[in-house]
Amino acid sequence: MADDQICPKCGAPLPADVAPGHCPKCLMQVGFESQDQAVADPAEAPTAVSGHSGVTWDLDQLASLFPELEIIKQVGIGGMGVVYQARQKQLDRFVAVKLVRPDLCDDPTFSERFTREARAMARLSHPAIINVFDFGQREQFYFFIMEFVDGTNLRQLMQSEGLDATQALAVVPQICEALQYAHDEGIVHRDIKPENILVDTKGRIKIADFGLAKLINPEATDFTLTGAKQVMGTPHYMAPEQLERPLEVDHRADIYSLGVVIYEMLTGELPLGRFSSPSEKVQIDVRLDEVVLRALQKEPEKRYQQVSGIKTDIEAVSASPTGHSPRQSVVPPTVRQAFNNLQYPGYGLYCVVNC
Amino acid sequence: MDDAGFPSPHSGRFATTRWSIVQAAGVQATPNSRHALEELCATYWYPLYAYVRRRGYQADDAQDLTQSFVLSLLERNAVQRADPDRGRFRSFLLGSLNKFLSDETRKQGAQKRGGDRKILSINVDDVENRYQLEPTDDITPEAVFERRWALTVLDAALTRLQGDYERVGKLPLFEALRGHIGADKSTIPNREVAESLSMQEGAVKVAAHRLRQEYRDALRAEIAQTVTNSKELDDELTGLFQTLSGT
Repeated sequence: MADDQICPKCGAPLPADVAPGHCPKCLMQVGFESQDQAVADPAEAPTAVSGHSGVTWDLDQLASLFPELEIIKQVGIGGMGVVYQARQKQLDRFVAVKLVRPDLCDDPTFSERFTREARAMARLSHPAIINVFDFGQREQFYFFIMEFVDGTNLRQLMQSEGLDATQALAVVPQICEALQYAHDEGIVHRDIKPENILVDTKGRIKIADFGLAKLINPEATDFTLTGAKQVMGTPHYMAPEQLERPLEVDHRADIYSLGVVIYEMLTGELPLGRFSSPSEKVQIDVRLDEVVLRALQKEPEKRYQQVSGIKTDIEAVSASPTGHSPRQSVVPPTVRQAFNNLQYPGYGLYCVVNC
Repeated sequence: MDDAGFPSPHSGRFATTRWSIVQAAGVQATPNSRHALEELCATYWYPLYAYVRRRGYQADDAQDLTQSFVLSLLERNAVQRADPDRGRFRSFLLGSLNKFLSDETRKQGAQKRGGDRKILSINVDDVENRYQLEPTDDITPEAVFERRWALTVLDAALTRLQGDYERVGKLPLFEALRGHIGADKSTIPNREVAESLSMQEGAVKVAAHRLRQEYRDALRAEIAQTVTNSKELDDELTGLFQTLSGT
């Protein structure tokens, strides 16, 4: 390489002794970048932040805990616990091992609840839902062994390349199908958010962590007796009733959360406060405003009653495109007014739970 | 976010690192601490060598001196002389090497002691060939050392990642994208890579994004091995970046 080559990105001269494409300055710069927002931003992390045991494990100890597995690397961490990619030696296949944070398991009823919820999760069998292969307890760690998805999640997808409306609309029906299946089985996800919606390398959706939020927050009384910190879930995506009346949560909470996800995919923003309709922010079909608004209704009975309804409406929009609407669109005044009046109900409370 | 108490490059807790093991052992070297120091020395052998060469020693002498310096560290538990206020391995190593070189007696003895012993498997021909590629500008031995150290850190992080990808059978993907980790994402030839690996273009974009994140983690993990706490890690990263920026 000639001495006078320069890095196309930072303009620094490229040293003769480094491989092409490896501008040392740009590579070192990567070290300053934040982790995925999903991990690094406390606002995005689940809010169960009670104290923890502080047990520290290294990978060797982890390997001794799971002799049947070859632990390969950590692939994720959240408020719930940490996930490793591993290989089941006997079957020679990759799996994901999720360890629940030990401090979340202190409750004497945890073991029983864990077994109950894990069995419910394991009963779900759908191509767009992560399979649970096994679960149990090793020393103080409760764990799940799950299907490993080679890919990414919606959060990373939005961050890495952005999603245009067409791409966003392509994934929504897949999510709806999986959710409808789970709802028909009597299982509510309770923590639908971009981080829990995985996308494999073929573009297929896989929803993770069904019902896990319920495991951590089983009773409404947790909220009132032990304080807001026990509320589990990601506030920005939680239905109002999840914060206000956790015992009354049903499948329509997932519909609300999906509404937030769709809004974010379309606009790149969360529907906070007096948010604008999607078509006011980006050029999209105004019919999508109605879908999103209906999913985001504060009262569950005013939302879609089945998530399949979202799928039907989204597919109708995709099937008969009317072209992009201008910024000052033809949104019916009633719909626009409704958006303007829609105050995100959980937002104020969110501030409370994080204090 | 809250420290989850797991082994994790992401957790707030600062993991045990090679340098912290060595420092914790102090004069009472343990098999673990010796092994940790040996690994550190093997990784950063070349920056030491480049420094000695730039100090004016010929290739043969520089190889012997570097090797015997490392040997003396390992044999004499010289870490006891580390200044606890200068926590970083890099500072410690350069300080120790200077002391070593300025001690004529030790220097002469060291050649006899370590000259022919290859305690670390260093390919001496390779290192001199590499040294011949060093910039010939009028830069100081210290600047050569710092720059080479920074490049070694980058290499070590890449090597670590390469191993990870190899273990999961995705070396071709790594090879296709490794040259674009630090690049502007708009310049990554996603379509070409997708075609060559029979992947969807969107999947390549995601893979490139993920590789960048993993490189970020690997880089920080590599630097973490040479410091003892997270503040030092950030300081060290800044220092290395400044070295490469020429500021």
